[in-house]
Amino acid sequence: MTAITPAGTSRGTSPSGAPGPGPVTRPTVPAHTGSRGTRVVGWAAVAGLALLLLYGLVVSPADVEMGDAVRLMYVHVPSATYLYVGCFITTVASALWLWKRTPGWDALAEAGAEVALVFSFVVLLTGSLWGRPTWGTYWVWDARLTSTAVLTALLAGYLALRRLDLDPDARSTRAAVLGLLLVPNVVVVNRSVSWWRSLHQDATLARIDPTIEGDMLVALMVGFLAIGLVFTWLMMHRFRVAWLEQQADRVDLDAALAARRAEASPAAGAAGADDRDGGEVPA
Amino acid sequence: MTGVTATLAMTHAGYVAAGWLASAALIGGYAVSVVRRGRKLSRQVPSEERRWS
Repeated sequence: MTAITPAGTSRGTSPSGAPGPGPVTRPTVPAHTGSRGTRVVGWAAVAGLALLLLYGLVVSPADVEMGDAVRLMYVHVPSATYLYVGCFITTVASALWLWKRTPGWDALAEAGAEVALVFSFVVLLTGSLWGRPTWGTYWVWDARLTSTAVLTALLAGYLALRRLDLDPDARSTRAAVLGLLLVPNVVVVNRSVSWWRSLHQDATLARIDPTIEGDMLVALMVGFLAIGLVFTWLMMHRFRVAWLEQQADRVDLDAALAARRAEASPAAGAAGADDRDGGEVPA
Repeated sequence: MTGVTATLAMTHAGYVAAGWLASAALIGGYAVSVVRRGRKLSRQVPSEERRWS
């Protein structure tokens, strides 16, 4: 067994829990959620973001109709896509949690929802700022905007549900049921521009003849790559945080149980002694 | 330099700058909070539970 001190160093203990002969030679494990994988993805994301700045703000030309406001598209559209990806991850992980009851799926569902919520704020913010110069208003209760706001509220509700003071298993199950609703909601958001009359433009890329080309298309692809790397990096770290939260809860529970047992054992011992001293022993 | 000049002279520059900066602040702030939470929790959990280390 290994005991962890607050500084993250480890001390050896015997299997019975008694302190061992001295410090173990094992190197100290750094206390964070980083790893070689996150560092590689992180540096790739930094490089991607630098390229996005170059393509999005310098190389890409202004649009004939929208002018330079089109440069918001290079953040807005990829962020919307990764909002959908986060919701998809949460729904799939929620379904797998309900089926397998493996804590990892629960942690992945939570991570996906939280990262998706951040991207939904980015989408709403950049969309509003793009809407003002192109539509003349920051906000309108249009089908696409309203359904995106509903999706954001659903994500916030999901995360609020996860913070309720309930039995962890019941809490995860309730959150997973809500998590299953995310992908159907994403379908509504995505199809809203074709199902209802909308101020929002139609799909730009997901069609046989994309309405974007040249440097603007390259800038958008760089946006997908850079923001995708940022999304991946955030997911890796956030998944590990969710995993650590589960382990910390378990450590707290173990400590509380040990304290209760320690409280109970002297009393039990005293009761046993009373019995031996002449108390009635049940037949 | 032409690209930089064009960038400085862009139309709707305020909206573009606000959108990009706010997005960077939101995602950057969230990234910092996640890393901090990870560091704090890592100190409470035995190292063998941190499988990525």
